[in-house]
Formats: sequence, C-alpha cells, structure tokens
Amino acid sequence: MLMSSKIMKQRFLCARSGAASATRQYAAAKLALKVCLSCVSLSTSLLANQPAKSIALKEFPKATNLVEQVVVPVPSEVFSALDKLGKQGWAEVVRPQKGVASPSGGKEQISLLLGIVIADGFVAVEAENAEEVKAIGNSVRTLAKTIGVEKAVSRRANSIVEFAEKRRWVEVRKELDLALSDVRQAMQELNSESLAQLVSLGGWIRGTEALSSVVAKSFSKDGAELLYQPVLVEHFNLRLQALPDAAKSLPVIVKILAGLSDIQPLMGKGDGEIPVKAVAEIGRICGELVTSVSAKGN
Amino acid sequence: MSVIAATLLDGGLQGARGGTIVEALSYALEAAQPAVKEGFTVREERWGGDLAAGQPLPIPHQLFKGNDYWFWMGTDSKGATISVHVYDKNGKLVEDEFWQKGQKAAAKIRPKRTGTYYLLVEVEKSTEERTVWSLAYGFR
Repeated sequence: MLMSSKIMKQRFLCARSGAASATRQYAAAKLALKVCLSCVSLSTSLLANQPAKSIALKEFPKATNLVEQVVVPVPSEVFSALDKLGKQGWAEVVRPQKGVASPSGGKEQISLLLGIVIADGFVAVEAENAEEVKAIGNSVRTLAKTIGVEKAVSRRANSIVEFAEKRRWVEVRKELDLALSDVRQAMQELNSESLAQLVSLGGWIRGTEALSSVVAKSFSKDGAELLYQPVLVEHFNLRLQALPDAAKSLPVIVKILAGLSDIQPLMGKGDGEIPVKAVAEIGRICGELVTSVSAKGN
Repeated sequence: MSVIAATLLDGGLQGARGGTIVEALSYALEAAQPAVKEGFTVREERWGGDLAAGQPLPIPHQLFKGNDYWFWMGTDSKGATISVHVYDKNGKLVEDEFWQKGQKAAAKIRPKRTGTYYLLVEVEKSTEERTVWSLAYGFR
C-alpha cells in the first residue's frame, strides 16, 4: 500500500505544470494517500497487538525454573558471530583426531566425549578441514554405538562424511546439529535425559575452549564479549547438581563442577569487559576439562 | 504451565483438546520459511508446552552480538492469537521487528550485547483452556 501511495505522489508531481485539473488530482491523491495510510495503520493494529515496552521479570518466578530448560547454542552459532568480526584462525584450534575416538569410562564420560567430538566437528568445519570432519563422523558413530544410540546417529554420521568429502560445509554444519539432536532424542527415549544433557555440556566445553583460544590469539573486546554466557553456566550447574549421587561423585563430573564455578566469575558482569587474561584462563580451564573427559576411565 | 526445551519426541506434549507440540511446531517452521530463504539456519532444538490465555511466560535464552535471530511461534489451535517478543535482562523490549498472523507469530532481533535475553511467549486469546504452542529459532 505504501508503494502505491508513492506512485500516486510521483504521478501528481508529473502533473504539477497543469492548472485546475492538477489541483483536483492533487486533492484526490492526497485523500487516497490518507486513506491508504489509515488502512496501513488499521491493518497493523488488527494484525498485531503492540507489546509492552518493558516487563518486570521478577513477577515471573517460574522464569528461574526455566533456566533448566535453556536451549544450548551449537558451537557454529557463536563461531558465526565471531566470524563477522573478521577472518579467524580456526585451523590452529582443530584438535586432531588420533584415529577413531575410543570410548572410555562409564556412559556419563562417553556422553560428554560424544558432545566434545561433535563440537570438534564444528571446529573442523570452520577450518574447512575435510579429513578431520570425516574422522569425526566415524568417531561419532563409534561413541554412539557404545551408549546404545548408534541407530539414531548412523545416518547422520554417514552424511557428515559424505558432505565433508564434497566440502559442502553448510550441509555438514546442519548434519552435526541434527546428530546432536538425534543423540539427545534417542537418549530421552531411553529415559536418559541426564546423559542427553551431558552431550550438550561436552559440546559447550569444547566449543568454549575453541572460542577462547581463537579470541585470545587475536584479541578484540567484541570477540571476548561472546564468552559472556551466564545463563548457560547456571543451566549446566543446575543439571549437574540434579544428577544421581553416584554420577555426581564421578571424578570427571566433580572436575567439571569445579571448572564451571571457576569460569563463572571470569565471564564478567555483562559490561563488555572480559580482559585477555580472563579469556585465556577460560580457555585453559575448558582445555583441562576436555583432556579430563578424553582420558581413560574418569 | 509446562514447558520443555528439547528435541521433540514423536507426539510431544499433548494438550487437553488433543493438539500436540509437533503440530504446533509445523506452524512455527512454516513461519520460518521466508527467513530460511534469506540464509537463516534453523536450530534443531525447540521449546514447546501449553499455556492458558493471558499468562505470558518468559524463557531465558543466550544470544550473541553479531548474529541476527528470528524466533517463530506456532499453535495448532485455530482461532488462537499468540505472540512472541524479546526482552533484555532488565525487562526492556529489544526486538527489531515482530508480526502476528493466524496461528503464527515471530520476532526478530540483532542483539546489541551478548548475554541473557527473555523470549516472552503468550497465548493472547484462545477458546481452549490451555493452548499448545511451540517456538523455534534461527540465526544468521
């Protein structure tokens, strides 16, 4: 409608040199414009109620409980934000796969490792390293088999390898996200919601390690700000605290809980000021956790 | 109030009338199509639940400065009016764009800061006691 009003105005301008008829045309066009604008305003108000400019979050006590239901971003989401700041050194943070990942420890540790390996896949895609992505696809299949969710993931693992061979990175990213959600869904179907959370946690730890390393090597205030993720740290803390006692007392889980509590203050207060030292420290802590999860029987 | 944030299981949460989150999600994903054509990546994890009319629910969510985000909400309840809006951690409306149409609604934001935001989902009007909804998001 706005476009047709503009056209009418242009027509009017063309007729300016005319006499009385132009004046009448002007009046008619002006009236039509008014009607159009009224229609636009009316249809907007009919279609959408205007939202409140502000809300009192404290009046929603249930919002606190919803921290448990936070959707964890995939590594490519935060990497995509960092890439907008300029070319990044992703190749330097690829964690070379030494053959196919060998499962170690209990199902909690394997779930964490599966998340880490999937995050490795996202890093390798950023670095456009097809060989690593293919190795990761095979590792995902092996780890998934160990915890009984191979069927759900097998097709994804094949697609990851196929798309990596063709260097179709957009599709590889999509398949990695689907692999993550398929694993989580399969685990939920097996009543292993806590294990599903550990897959997400493993992915977040490795993604944060890679992000910190890249940002620390080529520091920028905007890049560092991407590490300000308090709701995710709180979410993982809540989830780990809710694990059964036997799982909570596993050395690898104890280390992760301690790591999360060390990371939280380093993320700052959301004022956009995360110094390079804090970035490096977050990377170091996450790196140690990755090593811990990857070690034999933790 | 119940809400889940997960990959949706077949059937999903079922409302009193028999509607499901999976059906609601199909409307949300339909709403996403124009943005997908513009290069937005739709995440495979979504939220869903059921709500009584007039009882908005703020969902905390992490957003990253530098990305653009669209949030798409859907319901399978014909005649229901739903909405989704984005607020910052201080409760200030920060979305850049929003729309409501039939059984779909959406909001867009390019966050000025990285951090926690709240997605306020609401069933504004409905003939159902509780209305099943689903929310998906995408980034670019």
